Amino acid sequence: MNLYKIYSSFKLQRSKCDCFHLWSRFQIFLLVQLAQMAATKVPEVRDITRIERIGAHSHIRGLGLDDALEPRQVSQGMVGQLASRRAAGVILEMIKDGHIAGRAVLIAGQPGTGKTAIAMGIAQSLGPDTPFTALAGSEIFSLEMSKTEALSQAFRKAIGVRIKEETEIIEGEVVEIQIDRPATGTGAKVGKLTLKTTEMETIYDLGNKMIDSLSKEKVQAGDVITIDKATGKITKLGRSFTRARDYDAMGAQTKFVQCPEGELQKRKEVVHTVSLHEIDVINSRTQGFLALFSGDTGEIKSEVREQINAKVCEWREEGKAEIIPGVLFIDEVHMLDMECFSFLNRALESDLSPVLIMATNRGITRIRGTNYQSPHGIPIDLLDRLLIIATSPYTEKETRQILKIRCEEEDVELSEEAHTVLTRIGMETSLRYAIQLISTAGLVCRKRKGTEVQVEDIKRVYSLFLDEARSSQYMKEYQDSFLFNEAQSASMDTS
Amino acid sequence: MAVQSWIDDLKSSQKTALIHDGKRKIHYLFTDGKEMAEEYDLKTDELICRKWRQKSALGVQGVWQVEVGEPVNMPAALDPDVIKENCSNPLFMRKDTKNSFQWRIRNLPYPKDVFSVSVEPSERCIIIKTTNKKYYKKFNVPDLDRNKLPLSASALSYTHANNTLIVSYQKPKEILTLEQELLKEVKKLKGTGEGDVDCKTH
Repeated sequence: MNLYKIYSSFKLQRSKCDCFHLWSRFQIFLLVQLAQMAATKVPEVRDITRIERIGAHSHIRGLGLDDALEPRQVSQGMVGQLASRRAAGVILEMIKDGHIAGRAVLIAGQPGTGKTAIAMGIAQSLGPDTPFTALAGSEIFSLEMSKTEALSQAFRKAIGVRIKEETEIIEGEVVEIQIDRPATGTGAKVGKLTLKTTEMETIYDLGNKMIDSLSKEKVQAGDVITIDKATGKITKLGRSFTRARDYDAMGAQTKFVQCPEGELQKRKEVVHTVSLHEIDVINSRTQGFLALFSGDTGEIKSEVREQINAKVCEWREEGKAEIIPGVLFIDEVHMLDMECFSFLNRALESDLSPVLIMATNRGITRIRGTNYQSPHGIPIDLLDRLLIIATSPYTEKETRQILKIRCEEEDVELSEEAHTVLTRIGMETSLRYAIQLISTAGLVCRKRKGTEVQVEDIKRVYSLFLDEARSSQYMKEYQDSFLFNEAQSASMDTS
Repeated sequence: MAVQSWIDDLKSSQKTALIHDGKRKIHYLFTDGKEMAEEYDLKTDELICRKWRQKSALGVQGVWQVEVGEPVNMPAALDPDVIKENCSNPLFMRKDTKNSFQWRIRNLPYPKDVFSVSVEPSERCIIIKTTNKKYYKKFNVPDLDRNKLPLSASALSYTHANNTLIVSYQKPKEILTLEQELLKEVKKLKGTGEGDVDCKTH
């Protein structure tokens, strides 16, 4: 790329102010490249099963504990923090047990010490059946809804109810799938699916969503599948015995099943988990055209909640339903104010309350909404009800390990020296900054047609993008030339 | 005895009647929260439509389940994302006459000797089978179930014409008297006449 050569031959000298604009143009160029990468990748990715993007914590797959709750040094994306991970493991057992309601845990530690990672680890190890609701402390401040309403909704989202319901399913062997894509490439696809049992055969019309999920599940003629008629969820049961001799090359995990008997459509009892909040919403929404005039603000009346609670307790006694207490995770909990904290005090006493996990990176600071100082910005009476897990800064070895995991996650190859340099950067600036440099350095490396990120690439992005300390230093040096430089604020205020 | 309980259920239900479009429409609300809606022809007093609706355990309003009469046609373009039967498939519906329950299955372009219709008294259902394995249907007779009357093979007959299979089941004596009683009862209800009316039991 011609443009790139021009810029890479350009000597970057930060001290010279006149080259500042060129220097930042290259930065923007790089960022645009990153954005383009994301944009151009989308159409390719669309038809592939994995459409996840790489997030800040997508390398976390669990807490990395063994059966005896002893933490492994490096496991499931987790590194170090042995004591706090073990503590989280104990909490996890308590949640899985499900008997204890309304306990609260606080994860406290410096920025970038893995607080959110531990919470994500707990969420991952709980599995998809236990409700895990995550929100940031500032999310509850909305003009549409009062703070306490937002908090109670979050609380009720974290309580699951397992209940039996009858649904209609279609179960049969696939005879034929026919999908017509429009010649232009865009627009709605149309499809037909022929299913059969030992007794009958039916042709179904497929909508766009069904076509997508059929191709995602890689359903083909000869498979025995079930389709939930209401949700459109497809489950592959296996291959029909009659197709057993079709191919000789077959995966070891291919399961053969009998072709279903009788009718294609059956009513079946299924167990599914809904949250208390979902039940609230179903029962509070005004039905029919009256909903047009009621002006739904999203607030749910307390009478509705009480009714639901009574009904759920009744179901539980009759054995119709089972209550699954989940986890509510509030990140940046110091952003809550005094009213919220007193609400939490009260809400934790209810027996329909989930396990509350909070995280904060503040030390002794002002409680929002008061003039009092308190540890973590949380009132003492609430702190007294909490179990506190502390996280400590990572050592150099651990930082190195985390960067390695992130490189694997972001699909960037790092040379040994570059890894050492990046670890140094991580130790001296911050872990987050070092992680940011991985993908940018990877891009620079790819632009010079390299396969492995070298020290040079790290140096280049390090000079292109400032970390927090260098940026503040720069501000101090050149603050006279910026606008509004007379506005001086000594420290950040969160309220 | 058993027949009695269904009549009691009917009697204890709240009813609203309405005459509209040449049909007598009655809405029943039972004590357990189930709803039933019936439509009778004004002239012949034949049952045109009967459907049921019930709230699910979580409180979601269900959709009307048609027991007798034409299935409610959903607008086709309403939900293009889900799966639905192709229009060339057999269409099953119930349409009663004065003296028999009758089921009509349209779009069955096979000769008559392909079909076999039988009664399964142990499972309380009627089964339609095809020797070419194209169609199979197992269904019960809700009227008989509600009144806990037995199914008998002798009352069953079927014909095939114009791509339609018609299965008839002779109504037993108990059902006939019950229906007459119900009709008398229904006619006593104040029909609110033409036009838009609020349905109190709805």
